[in-house]
Amino acid sequence: MISFSPEVIAHIGSFKITNSLLDILLVDSILITLALVVKKRLSLIPGLLQNAVEFLIEGFYNLTESISNKNAGRIFPFFITFFLFILIVNWSGLIPGVGTIGFFEGKKLVPVIRSGASDLNVTLGLALVSAVATHVLSIQILGIKSYLGRYFSINPINLFIGILEIISEITKVISLSFRLFGNIFAGEVVLATTSSMIAFLFPIPFLLLEIIVGFVQALVFSMLTMTFMAILTTPHHEVETVKEVSRV
Amino acid sequence: MEIIKNFGLDPVFLAAQVINFLIILYVLKRFLYKPILELLKKREDAIKEGVRKNEEVRILLEKASSEEKAVLKRAEAYAKKIIDDAKSHATETAKEIEEISKKQTEKIFADASLQIKKEAIETEKRLTLTVSKVAIEFLKKSLEQLFSEKEQKEILKKALKEMKI
Repeated sequence: MISFSPEVIAHIGSFKITNSLLDILLVDSILITLALVVKKRLSLIPGLLQNAVEFLIEGFYNLTESISNKNAGRIFPFFITFFLFILIVNWSGLIPGVGTIGFFEGKKLVPVIRSGASDLNVTLGLALVSAVATHVLSIQILGIKSYLGRYFSINPINLFIGILEIISEITKVISLSFRLFGNIFAGEVVLATTSSMIAFLFPIPFLLLEIIVGFVQALVFSMLTMTFMAILTTPHHEVETVKEVSRV
Repeated sequence: MEIIKNFGLDPVFLAAQVINFLIILYVLKRFLYKPILELLKKREDAIKEGVRKNEEVRILLEKASSEEKAVLKRAEAYAKKIIDDAKSHATETAKEIEEISKKQTEKIFADASLQIKKEAIETEKRLTLTVSKVAIEFLKKSLEQLFSEKEQKEILKKALKEMKI
C-alpha cells in the first residue's frame, strides 16, 4: 500500500531526506541542465533542441500575451516554469525504477525515489507560490489601493463579495494543490495495482494514460495560475474581458 | 491535525519546496527564457528588417526599371536624332564637297587650258625664232653665192624686217 506521506530515506543532520525530495532534486538537475545546455548552444540558426525549446517558449509567451496582454512579460515566467516543473515531476514518476526500486521496512516497500507530485508538500508549495506570486504581482501592477479595493468596500454587498473573494483565494490554493496531488497519487496507485496484478504488458495502457494525465495536470495548474494572475493584475472594470478571453 | 499528519505535511519541507521552486524559476528565467526571448526578438527584428529592405529593393528595382526604360527611350530618340542629323549633315557636306571639287576641277581645267595656251604661244614663238634662224642661215648660205656682201646685208635686213625678229 502506498502511503500519502513521503518516506524518509536518509538524514542530513536534523534535515530529513525523503524519496519525493530526491525526485524533486532529479527534476531540478534536468531543468538546470536543459537551461545551461540551451544557453550554451544558443544560435540565430537553431538546432533541434533549441528549436523545440523556442517553439515551447514562443507558444507559451504568445498564449500569455493573448490573455494578459501588457503584463505578459511578468506572468510568463511563472506560467511556463509551473508547466515545465510539474510536467517533468509528473513524468519522472513514470521512469522505470521510480516508485518500484527500494527497500523493505517490514512488509512495506519503501521506494528510493517517488514522484514529487504525489507529495502534498510539493503540490501545496507550488500552489502557495502561485497564490503569493499572483497577489504580489497584483499589488505591484495595480497598486495597494486598487488591490485592497477588490476585497474591502464600504458598500455591504461589495464587502460580502470581497469576503467571498478572500475565501475563494484560499480555496484556490487548496484546489490547485489537491487536484495535482490527487491525480498523480491516484495514478501511482493505479500503476502499482495493475503492476502487482499482472507485471507485463497490462500496465502499459495505464502508463500511457498517466503520460497524458501528467501533461494535462501540468497544463491545468499552469493555465489556472496564468489566468488568476491575468485576472488579478487587470483593473476591476477590465476583468470581464480577461475572463472572456481565458474562456475562449 | 490528524489529516495533516496523514498527508505528511511538514513546514520545513513546504518551505524547502517553495525555495526550490523559486530557485528553479530564477535559473530558468535567467538562463533560458530571457536569452531565448531576446533571440526570438532579434530574429524577428532581423526578419522584419530583411522584409523591409527587400521591399525597398523591390521598389528601387521597379523605379530603376522604369527609369531604365525612360532612359532607353530617350537614348533611342536621341540616337535617331543624331543619325538623322548626321545623315542630313553628310548629305550637305557631300553636296558642298561635290560643289567645291567641281569648282576646283573647273579651275584646274581653266588653269591647265591657260597654261597650255601660254605654252603653245611660247612654243610657237620659239618655233618661229628657230625657223627664222634656220631661214636666215639658209638665206645666208644661198645669198653667199649669188649676191655681193652689200646686197646680202640689204636682203637680210629686209628679210629680218619682214620676219619681225
